[in-house]
Amino acid sequence: MNVNPREPVYLQVVRHFKEQIAIGNFVAGQEIPSRRELAASLNINPNTAQKAYKEMEEQGLIHTERNFPSQITTNETILQAVRQELILAAVDTFVDAIRPINVPVDELLRVVKEKYSEEIREEEEK
Amino acid sequence: MIEVKKISKNYGRKKILDDVSFTANKGEVTCLIGINGVGKTTTLKAIMGLTPYKGEILIDDQKMTKDSYEKITFIPDAPTMLPQMTIKQAMVFMSDFYTSWNPERANQLMGFFKLKEENRISELSKGNTAKLNLMLGLSLDVDYVLMDEPFSGIDMFSREQIADVFASHLIEDRGVIITTHEIGDIEHLIDKVILLDNGSVLKEFNTEEMREEEGKSVVDVMREVYQS
Repeated sequence: MNVNPREPVYLQVVRHFKEQIAIGNFVAGQEIPSRRELAASLNINPNTAQKAYKEMEEQGLIHTERNFPSQITTNETILQAVRQELILAAVDTFVDAIRPINVPVDELLRVVKEKYSEEIREEEEK
Repeated sequence: MIEVKKISKNYGRKKILDDVSFTANKGEVTCLIGINGVGKTTTLKAIMGLTPYKGEILIDDQKMTKDSYEKITFIPDAPTMLPQMTIKQAMVFMSDFYTSWNPERANQLMGFFKLKEENRISELSKGNTAKLNLMLGLSLDVDYVLMDEPFSGIDMFSREQIADVFASHLIEDRGVIITTHEIGDIEHLIDKVILLDNGSVLKEFNTEEMREEEGKSVVDVMREVYQS
């Protein structure tokens, strides 16, 4: 995880988890590292890891039973919402970047389609 | 919590500390930053009772007494052991001298820093001397750790290794006060920042709150404060 020094680190950790969920690296019900392990592996402050876990519990992304490791939620609605949220956030960034160029939407979609297929082909060839 | 309350100190006519106040919580890393030398080390020395000062310093709501020093360790930026000693001998010395010496933690730190017991202190690089000081200091079971310029003048790999300590359980639950003149690779690892200049506190803030409320990095705030 590359840390942006201008954004609260705990929110960056939460996003990192959401990305892992969307990619499928974390699946419903999976145990996640302890706060201590997470701090060491992401090279962040243990207090920040703690705060990120608290935030994720509040958002219903993870849950923790007393004396057991925390787990990714099994609530499908929440997991689907995570995916939607990431897609929307990425599209927002894209739209913000492309809007000033004023491309007709049809042309834009055609280019996006081409690029996207090309990207997938290249990944499959690797 | 360590509470520094309005401490002042002069060397002759020169003001070294001028009404310095701040707090450092247990379980947090507090960073004393000052680009112009003066004040940081003196503040740590005042907390350790190594230099006289005006004002008051409290630890866990108590005035500092001889017993309070059992709760704190000071890690200086210069060699602390005799140069002819080996690391092993330095560890034996520490365990004889301090009841709070924790041999298990010492072994973890030796592995963490990749230090070798048989190495002689006189032969250590600057980076390894810094790691040795940290290993010796952090191996004491104390609540508060004061580190003086642990990153100063050492190579980037040693700096990274030392920064890793702040993300590890080796620090957890303790109160750490660290002095530095450059924030470099620990910016995202510290909880609180005290900006000093000419012996006065210019600003005190919590790093995550600063990011959340003002979208500013520690370096952004330093630029504002020191360049205005």
